[in-house]
Amino acid sequence: MIKVNNLSKSFPKKDGSQFFAVDGVSFEARDAEIVCLLGVNGAGKTTTMRILSTVFQPSSGSAEIMGWDIKKNAQQVRENLGFLSGDTGLYNRLSGREFITYFGRLYGISDSTIAQRIAEMAELLNMNDFLDKKIEFLSTGMKQKVSIVRSIIHDPPVMIFDEPTAGLDILTARNIVAFIRQCKQRGKCVLFSTHIMREAERLADRIVMIHKGKILTEGTLEMLREDSGQTDLDDIFVFYVNQFTDETEVLAHEF
Amino acid sequence: MNFKKTLVVYRKETLEVLRDKRTIFTTFILPVILYPLLIVGFNSLMMRQTAVLEERGATLAVADQINTVESQNLLKEIRQIKNYHLLPYTASSQELYRQKDIQAIITLRDSVAADGLKYYLISVQYDKSKELGRMVYSNLKEAIAKQEKDLQKAYLNSAGLNPEVLNLVAIKEVDTSTAEKKMGMFLGMFLPYIVIMMLVAGAATVAADLVAGEKERRTLETLLVSSVGRQEIVFGKYLTIITLAMLNVVVNLFSISVSLKFMLANQSKDMAGVQMPLSAILILLAAMIPLATLFSAILLSVSTFSRNMKEARTYEQPIMMLAMMMGFISFLPTAEINNLWALIPVINIALLFKAVMINEYTLANLLITVGSTLVLDVLAIWATLKLFTTESILFRADDDSSSLKAVKKDKRMFFNPYYGLVYFTLALVVLYYLGGYWQLKDLFRGLMQTQILIIALPVLLISRILKLNGKETFRLKLPAPMEVVLIPFIAVSAAILVALLAQLINLVFPFPQAYVEMLSKLFTMDKSILRVFLVMSVLPGICEELLFRGFLIRFFEKYGAKTAVVISALLFALFHLDPFRFFPVLLLGLLLGYLVVRSGSLYNGMLSHLINNGLALLLTTFGSSAWLKPLLSKGDNLHFWLAVPALLVLSAGLYAFHKVTAKGDQACAE
Repeated sequence: MIKVNNLSKSFPKKDGSQFFAVDGVSFEARDAEIVCLLGVNGAGKTTTMRILSTVFQPSSGSAEIMGWDIKKNAQQVRENLGFLSGDTGLYNRLSGREFITYFGRLYGISDSTIAQRIAEMAELLNMNDFLDKKIEFLSTGMKQKVSIVRSIIHDPPVMIFDEPTAGLDILTARNIVAFIRQCKQRGKCVLFSTHIMREAERLADRIVMIHKGKILTEGTLEMLREDSGQTDLDDIFVFYVNQFTDETEVLAHEF
Repeated sequence: MNFKKTLVVYRKETLEVLRDKRTIFTTFILPVILYPLLIVGFNSLMMRQTAVLEERGATLAVADQINTVESQNLLKEIRQIKNYHLLPYTASSQELYRQKDIQAIITLRDSVAADGLKYYLISVQYDKSKELGRMVYSNLKEAIAKQEKDLQKAYLNSAGLNPEVLNLVAIKEVDTSTAEKKMGMFLGMFLPYIVIMMLVAGAATVAADLVAGEKERRTLETLLVSSVGRQEIVFGKYLTIITLAMLNVVVNLFSISVSLKFMLANQSKDMAGVQMPLSAILILLAAMIPLATLFSAILLSVSTFSRNMKEARTYEQPIMMLAMMMGFISFLPTAEINNLWALIPVINIALLFKAVMINEYTLANLLITVGSTLVLDVLAIWATLKLFTTESILFRADDDSSSLKAVKKDKRMFFNPYYGLVYFTLALVVLYYLGGYWQLKDLFRGLMQTQILIIALPVLLISRILKLNGKETFRLKLPAPMEVVLIPFIAVSAAILVALLAQLINLVFPFPQAYVEMLSKLFTMDKSILRVFLVMSVLPGICEELLFRGFLIRFFEKYGAKTAVVISALLFALFHLDPFRFFPVLLLGLLLGYLVVRSGSLYNGMLSHLINNGLALLLTTFGSSAWLKPLLSKGDNLHFWLAVPALLVLSAGLYAFHKVTAKGDQACAE
């Protein structure tokens, strides 16, 4: 369960003024639901997710993960959260098993539980051949599998994927997509961000469109089609972006 | 803090670092092969070199202008030196000498003096810059000395005297130093330097990898979203750096001691079997721990600040240079540890090291050294934690030092911390060289030129070039009447407190005599009191305030007014280039910064600064006058009881000032 309420994040610009990367964002994601944060590069997707994973502090507003406040209960938030992004680096000098075990221990899980979960996941993702090799010798696909197991080693109820397929080849990307579906089947609440329309179309139960730090609209694909009168998600997205730009332009003229 | 998770981080980082081939090489392999190569290799090379020279021998040209039995005996003696050949001196001898075919030219002459004695003059022409030349000369000297003794004996015998008169006085050397101490002296010179270097180098490689490296490899975010806290991450990494740095030191010391043992065994007999005492090694290792923690903390904060490893390595360079230069002090033969040196990081460890090696140190030295290092240590680790929780630092995207071109477009960009530090450094360098030169030439004129041309003028020029609004930028707002009334009370009481603090420092760490003389020279310039007042109070009050509270403080205001005041005060204290007055000046800087920022008027700072300096001048000039006598104990020292009324007046003054300025600049400090 993720609840985001009027969240904002601003960064100081060089000239002293503030730049709002996230500007009054509110949305929700329920258990056993996949919500997609859809937007172009620089829309504020990563910043939002970094706030949710407590890497960044919000400038204003609030958010909850499984009822824990991201500001007051950062520790509990992180314990209930699995985080995976497409460009995550790994510790090259460790083996896959050591890497996953390290994070398991950081979550305070016992070594026996860690070993058991690794065994399960390795079987499922077909990783037994390379689990004990140093990560620097692994292929991108293998690395991504190690990252997947790392993200779920503490069996969190909420999963956040930040552009999970960015920079990956088709086969590796398919692994991720399958994994996201699996998370939903296990009853987890999934939030993932992408700028690829097809991915959103295929995976998301609900789509939250974000542009220049603000929410354009949200709803199921059917609802968005109906509302915009377009069928293709590309067109739907452009429709809402235009609407937003018109509105802000009108606002600008009024002042 | 969860200690268990800190340990998890520590264990993983150590494992990972130890799997790095570079670390393995620099920490273990390099020291293990370096010292044997350096010490043993160099040693055997030296010995071989001597052997080769002896083997080669020398060819000498002899011009024997005496040609008696005595001279023949001498030449016989020389011929007996292994591989020495003698040629008669000919016209071509000088040419052969230039060609290096002969190594020396000997000319034998004699004369009969009035006292009837026959004197001999033996000139030896040789090249002292050559190892071979020096060897030939020393061999010749030995042979000649022996011949002289024979001559003297023969002479005494013929005169019917006992030849033993030549040996009436004998010198017996009684050396109280032990072989250990001799070696300690020698090791104390170069070991601190090497060990400090190794420590810093070891820590630097690891530190750059641990945070900047994680940023570069994009693993930091993964770590941050796991449930480990940032404190735990910082401490886990911190412990890793300390461990590796200490490991580096241990391996190096071990390798050095083994190599030395080997070298000494091959050398003179009295040094054979001498070892570095184990207790000394242990004390040294213990003393290195605080230094290791300090460097680890500093380097970790540098690594946290840097965006990638390359940047981290660049920022590490000056730190390593500084450590190197400070460690170099152990080479100065007269530098010995005392309680004042013990306060200065790195230098204190280097000198303590030296003292431990010859077993001459006090417990106070040790405690102050460790204590002062630990204080800095805590500061550095606090700074790292602070950096680690500042997202603008941890996720610093692009360079925030804007280019000069951008500054021209937008003046607000000029006032960033980077430019502030650059300006300060430049001003400091000019002050040191140019100001120092001017003041050496003519103290009065020099001080005036320093204040006006170095401190004030550039600020005004920059303001002119950038077309800044001077009134606004430098806070040139007229102070409220009430503020002007309060300032003298604040300034005088603060000046008294600052002076008392300086006296207190003098009590604990007495100022060197040369320093006191230099200071008093400032106040007793051969000028009228009015002119001294001008150059010691009025000009600094105006010019230094313009630079520090008007200009430099602006560069740091994006961190908030408090931080800006603190930084400008630190720079102000540094600018005086005077370790003894650092703390008093720092306090004064804090007060002046507060007054200016709080009231929004630079004039308040100027007035206060002027009064402060004027008071110091007053005390030195009129210290002996009757009306000041009750306040002074001896010389121009103030009574310590003055602290009580001064403190009361200062608090009351500041309280009133705070109230009066409540509506003014919203920012406040202290």
